[in-house]
Amino acid sequence: MLCPVCHQDALIVEYQNIELDYCPACHGVWFDAGELELLMGSAGVEDFQRYLEGIVRAPEVETTEKKHKCPACNHKMKKTYIDRDNKILVDVCHVGDGIWFDGGEVQNLIKELVEKSPEKGASQGVLAFVGEMFKHQTD
Amino acid sequence: MIALWIILGIVVVLIFFIIGAYNSLVGFRNQVKNAWAQIDVQLKRRYDLIPNLVETVKGYAKHERETFEMVTKARNLAQQASSTAGAAERGKLEGELGMALGRLLAVAEAYPELKANQNFLALQEELTSTENKISFSRQYYNDSVLKFNNKIQMFPSNVIAGMFSFKLGEFFEVIVAAEKEAPKVSFT
Amino acid sequence: MWEQIRSNQVRSVFLIALIAGLLLAVGYFLGLYFFDSAVGGLVIALIVWAIMSLVAYFQGDSILLGMAKAKKITPDDAPRLYNVVEEMKIASGLEKVPDVYIIDDPALNAFATGRDPSRASVAITSGLLQKLTRDELQGVIGHEIAHIKNRDVLLMAITAVMLGTIVILSWYASRFLLFGAMTGSGRRSSSRSGGGGAQAIVLIVGLVLMILAPIMAQLIYYAISRKREYLADASSALYTRYPEGLASALEKIGGSKQQLKSANQATAPMYIINPLHKEGMKAADLTSTHPPISERVRILRAMTGGASFANYNDAYRKVHSGKQVIIPKTAAAGIGAIGIRQASLAAPGELGLASEKASDKAASTHEVSDLMLRLNKYRTVDCECGARWKIPPGFKDNDVLCTRCGRRIRL
Ligand SMILES: [Zn+2]
Ligand SMILES: [Zn+2]
Ligand SMILES: [Zn+2]
Repeated sequence: MLCPVCHQDALIVEYQNIELDYCPACHGVWFDAGELELLMGSAGVEDFQRYLEGIVRAPEVETTEKKHKCPACNHKMKKTYIDRDNKILVDVCHVGDGIWFDGGEVQNLIKELVEKSPEKGASQGVLAFVGEMFKHQTD
Repeated sequence: MIALWIILGIVVVLIFFIIGAYNSLVGFRNQVKNAWAQIDVQLKRRYDLIPNLVETVKGYAKHERETFEMVTKARNLAQQASSTAGAAERGKLEGELGMALGRLLAVAEAYPELKANQNFLALQEELTSTENKISFSRQYYNDSVLKFNNKIQMFPSNVIAGMFSFKLGEFFEVIVAAEKEAPKVSFT
Repeated sequence: MWEQIRSNQVRSVFLIALIAGLLLAVGYFLGLYFFDSAVGGLVIALIVWAIMSLVAYFQGDSILLGMAKAKKITPDDAPRLYNVVEEMKIASGLEKVPDVYIIDDPALNAFATGRDPSRASVAITSGLLQKLTRDELQGVIGHEIAHIKNRDVLLMAITAVMLGTIVILSWYASRFLLFGAMTGSGRRSSSRSGGGGAQAIVLIVGLVLMILAPIMAQLIYYAISRKREYLADASSALYTRYPEGLASALEKIGGSKQQLKSANQATAPMYIINPLHKEGMKAADLTSTHPPISERVRILRAMTGGASFANYNDAYRKVHSGKQVIIPKTAAAGIGAIGIRQASLAAPGELGLASEKASDKAASTHEVSDLMLRLNKYRTVDCECGARWKIPPGFKDNDVLCTRCGRRIRL
């Protein structure tokens, strides 16, 4: 997969049979919808499609941040908050191919993980997994 | 003079007809031979796979000695017959081998660890595919035999077949218990 | 086997002749406008057509596979897929095992190509390979092998080339005509006198033809393609002796929302389902390359008596409650009773890990994606913490940082 920010080949990291795409240059992370489904399946979340639709339909956030193109379908993705506190701004594909976390968003996530236990809610498992996978991205 | 030409013409036509009919009979016979060779390749492949499969299953299911012995015996019988017996006898032995194999795979179902073993899964896929290839090539072989036999028995090619003593081809029927009781497929 | 091909060929030849007629008509008017000579236009049309045909004949399959970004695989890459192709080769009586390709795309589709049965290829998307059970895969491959065996591939290639020629010629012609009309500098102006009215009529007829010809050619192309789909479905049922395999594969394919990225108007009829249109149109719909999936599934499921062409005809009649037959009678007769076999137990994926356990499901999902990574020359390194890193071939560093535990892993 090509990183939607730097257009270089991303690395793939697999943990507990879940795969994420990770750009070593900008530290961004792509969470593919298929992998989201697998993660939720192993966490016992039944209605994955509804969760995904919820994210896809979430209101677009007005922001000055640059829009990125979906690495799967190449259409512009939309910016939306994925957490209850409206802190973590992600890029979501309009047809639900997956979610893109900018490098900075991942940093925020990890900070939050350290400061307090992660929030409760449908996205909790997803955020916790991303946070866990990338807590050592700078040494 | 004209009569001579006519007779000569008839003779030439007759010769061409005989050559044509003979060649087409040989063609059909070769098709039957090739089809049989194709079955043989698959049957040999099955003989080769079985010892490996038995060893792999043995590692997980130690108490199924009876089944292992049955499969090994059926395999050896079928292999021995492969160089000497005719299609009918081989069909019977291969049918028995197929049934013994079915038993072995059913036994394997009861061992979840075995079913997670990559080596076993690869062997199982090879075996499944070999079984399919046997059944598809058997179908093709029997079609070829049917066409060949029709040619031998029907006029006018039967005359040529008699002249050059072509023998009827033998069908290859694998007798499998499951096939006899007309399987019903449930669409669920 | 030859009768059904021949009888289908009569219909197909008629349709091809129609397309050829369109091609010549376009050439004729082209010549009339630009060179004052209809013959000149015909020559140009034939030259363009001949060049495209030669390219298609010698390079068609590589162009198509290249456009789809298909990767050739060996038996070791995907043993099950290769086995199934070999099985269908034997069942169909094809002389040679076709080359097998995988298209790295989550969409569910497959196609066959190649100029003759001894030089043919089948291609399947990674998404489809991942989703189908062994029986379903067999049904899909049986359908594709049938296209090769029945020489549909060549027929569709011939038609596609003529369609392409018509599209190219009329596109250029209509641009020039419109441009010429706007600037008022047509080649045929005052040199001829008197025939102003007749000339205007010819101009209009030609212009209308230039606009309509590509559309008409496309409709004919689709009509040819639709007929072929039924025969390929029936052949697949006959080869596999298990119509339910293809039926449930089609259902899975039809239920998917993903569109194939690399398909276009010309290549669409090559696929097992139309990669461009969505389900929900009638068989009578002239713009569909394929009969509706739901109808194809219903026919296959109605084949309760057996797996022969005669059974397919019966099923077709049952579904359409009419007297038409879809496979010519000569082909359906004389094959004899052919029973339906039992379902095999194998689950989806290359190895068929049959389990509903979430972790097993995840493992089998990555089986196919890992295969694609191997084909794309990715390297794999395991970190002591349990994370596994997959490195693209262009990665230049000597080590990679495991972001989960902070270790540096040597490559
Ligand atoms: Zn990047
Ligand atoms: Zn997308
Ligand atoms: Zn690590």
